[in-house]
Amino acid sequence: MRHFFIFSYELNHFLKTKTKVVSYLFFILACIYSLFNGFQLHDKQLNTIKNIKEQETESLAKVLNWFENDLSGPEDRSWVDITDPYWAIRYSPTYVIKEPSLLLPLGIGQAEQYGYYQKLSIWSSPLDNDIVEEISNYERLINGNIDFSFLILFLLPLLIIILTYNVRGLESDLKFHDLVSVQVGDYKKWVFYRLLFYAVLLLFSVDCLFLSVAIINNVFSYQFFELIILSNFYILIYFISFYLIIIKSNGSISVAFKMIALWLTFCVLVPGAVHQYINLKYPTNYMTDFLDANRKDTYDVFKLSKEELNEQLIEIYPELLLSKHAKDSVINRTIVRNTMSAIVNQINVNAIEKINQQNFSKNNLITKAYFFNPLSFFQNKWNALTETDYHSYSDYRKYTQSKIDKRLELLVYDCWNSKKLDLKSYNEYLNLLK
Amino acid sequence: MNKIIYNEWLGFFRNKLFLFLSLFFLFFLVLVTYLGIIQNIKQDNAQEIAHKHIRAQWDEMEASNPHSAAHYGSYAFKPISVLNSIDEGINSVTGNVLRLEGHRQNDIVFSEVSQSLIISKFGKLKPSLIFQFIIPLILIFLSFNTYTSERQSGRLKLLLIQGSSLRKIVSSKVLSVWFIGLILLFVTILIQFIFNYSFLNSDVFLRLSFLFVSYAFYYLILINLTVLLSVIFKSSTASLSLTILTWVFWTIFYPTIVGNSTEKLNPLPTRVEFKEAMSEDRSKGIDGHNPRGERRDALEKSTLAKYNVEKLEDLPINFSGILMQEDEEYGNMVWDKHFGNLYKQLEKQKKNYQLSGFLNPFTALQSLSMGISGTDLFHHLDFLNKAESYRRVFIKSLNDEYAFGGSKTGERGWKASNEFFRSVEDFEYVSPEFLSIGKKYLYDVITLIFWLIISVVSLFLVTRKIKL
Repeated sequence: MRHFFIFSYELNHFLKTKTKVVSYLFFILACIYSLFNGFQLHDKQLNTIKNIKEQETESLAKVLNWFENDLSGPEDRSWVDITDPYWAIRYSPTYVIKEPSLLLPLGIGQAEQYGYYQKLSIWSSPLDNDIVEEISNYERLINGNIDFSFLILFLLPLLIIILTYNVRGLESDLKFHDLVSVQVGDYKKWVFYRLLFYAVLLLFSVDCLFLSVAIINNVFSYQFFELIILSNFYILIYFISFYLIIIKSNGSISVAFKMIALWLTFCVLVPGAVHQYINLKYPTNYMTDFLDANRKDTYDVFKLSKEELNEQLIEIYPELLLSKHAKDSVINRTIVRNTMSAIVNQINVNAIEKINQQNFSKNNLITKAYFFNPLSFFQNKWNALTETDYHSYSDYRKYTQSKIDKRLELLVYDCWNSKKLDLKSYNEYLNLLK
Repeated sequence: MNKIIYNEWLGFFRNKLFLFLSLFFLFFLVLVTYLGIIQNIKQDNAQEIAHKHIRAQWDEMEASNPHSAAHYGSYAFKPISVLNSIDEGINSVTGNVLRLEGHRQNDIVFSEVSQSLIISKFGKLKPSLIFQFIIPLILIFLSFNTYTSERQSGRLKLLLIQGSSLRKIVSSKVLSVWFIGLILLFVTILIQFIFNYSFLNSDVFLRLSFLFVSYAFYYLILINLTVLLSVIFKSSTASLSLTILTWVFWTIFYPTIVGNSTEKLNPLPTRVEFKEAMSEDRSKGIDGHNPRGERRDALEKSTLAKYNVEKLEDLPINFSGILMQEDEEYGNMVWDKHFGNLYKQLEKQKKNYQLSGFLNPFTALQSLSMGISGTDLFHHLDFLNKAESYRRVFIKSLNDEYAFGGSKTGERGWKASNEFFRSVEDFEYVSPEFLSIGKKYLYDVITLIFWLIISVVSLFLVTRKIKL
């Protein structure tokens, strides 16, 4: 009963303290605004994807029309033979898309830094411009978006400070904290129940906001519940830390100072120091491995003779030895040159592998630092659940590479077997390319 | 007044916790500045290595067709400024590699943030992070009760009886805290001077001086407002709560809100929209009435007329080179239109952001800090524009060689010598001098001065009207 009394007393105190009520309402409004922003980004991405798909359908319909009407290709390009796999694939660029997660409104993460669609051709690579970066205002990126995860991870602790810094501190300032001990007995319990009120208030508010997104997007997935647990755990860690600060300090100013210092240390200083250290160890990669693959090595491939190209293609695809072209005694220059993009792709794959290894080492160090940089753990875990972290985009790039590989495999084998396409086989192509 | 400041400092130094924290903080600041410089040097070396590597490939190029060389192209690597060690601004989110090739203006790609998981929302631990987040908090904590404690202890009345005016007492309190901020600033600048001695020139000196003045102004504004609130509220707790709330709003919340709002006011295209619009203009003609085929025919006619021949084969030069360059010039118009619009939108967003400084001095300070350090949007756009200007000269020299270097129309296999390729000048980016770009920061300077005047005048008026 006494505990309930402390609880209701705190509710009264909260409602009568304008600064606290305003701060709380301000935070809730900011959260609603951040969710609105998240939904906007989600819708924007979906709209862009819809437009892309329409374009893709439109351009493929043109090719289908050529097949249906027995045309060899565009009117002004007599040299194009659409029944040749090379031209059919060349005229059928398709998009690889990363659909935004339904949980994106809850955490934008790194979504604005990466592209989420890529037009694939036989010369594509998963490090092409479209996929590695989206157009954004850089100065806005460094200040961040009003993102729900940002509000919970960075601003909520500050709200907790505003709500709790004078719990016991005020009584200490007014010099009647001893009286409190006389009235309530164990002052630690008294502080605990007072903090519990704010913990319940904030957890309830935050969870309601989570639920609103789940209801709107109809997403009650495992990831969603994991996200709730993660955020609640994070909030509770702050309450526990602040509880310890309050019972170990005297006066609201001392409490406020320590709380702010804790926030600064874990939200600003430690992540900043880790960032600096990691950058010292792994300076920004200028991607020269990929640039070499993309330029010098590619141009070296262009200079190869048909015999050398033939040899390299067989090395990459040994089963080509069974193809019609391989069995011919004469090497067909057109066939090998039309399929040499597969060699360039292999060079790109090797270069990207090196870059991925470097990034892996860097990310490995980041995760090792989670032990003393817990904020980054929460942030990246949160982003992973909303599929907006580095790994989600790295997986998307890997998927893109697999689609490129598939496209080239089709190109190489069918060109080497001198396959001729008709409407039916082209439709089968589309199923494989999409 | 000097005596009050002296006594105030004496008070600070008698406090062992303050002394310990000050020394620790000074050491920390020196370390952070030093590490910032080391990181800068490492990054600069990596950039230099990449640059030399790419240029060596160009220099080693065998005799080739100049048009193939235009496709082969080159790369520009975004260099970092000397003062990147103080404030890295947008450098971690912008791309670092720009491909320079024929037929197209590319985007800069491969940013640092795209290469890893998120580490820090507020950037690396550099002096700017300390200047913008930590020192202001320390100054707030040192000044929020500087007036109220005197008032509550009764010393204020004693000082007034001794002949000091309230305005003088408050001003002295403000100055005594401000000097602490100035010392910390000065130490950082000094370390920059010592460790970056070899890079120092008049521009860097000017930039560092501006940096010092900007932060000094901001700290004075912050201290004035903190003391003002403590004078108005008469209670340390209330003034601290409100000051901290204001600080949080200013430094964390407001920049994000403004950033979002400015982007909504001047929206940017998605990459797919941007690329499509350019490709449409490129193929149909900039106004939609000048398709590529017609342009080619017109050029052919005018060239034949110029050389007074009837067939392309009779030309003493290679028409393909002229055609390539003409196409390039047309492409440049398209890039100018679309990239120009994109950059204009970005500049409009920046201007709105700067104007929002009238509601938040932190915005002005952040913008100035990045601008002075040469790591803001204006400097980034300057790099992109200079790289693009170079690309145009670079491609023109290749097309001219193709057209007038000795080949004739139809000689597709003609090759320019390695000497020619070696003679093509390399891209060397020179960052703009602060004075030449300084007017872009006028809004920031005005808003900072505006806030300084407001804070000083408000404090002056309040201390005149206050009743003890």
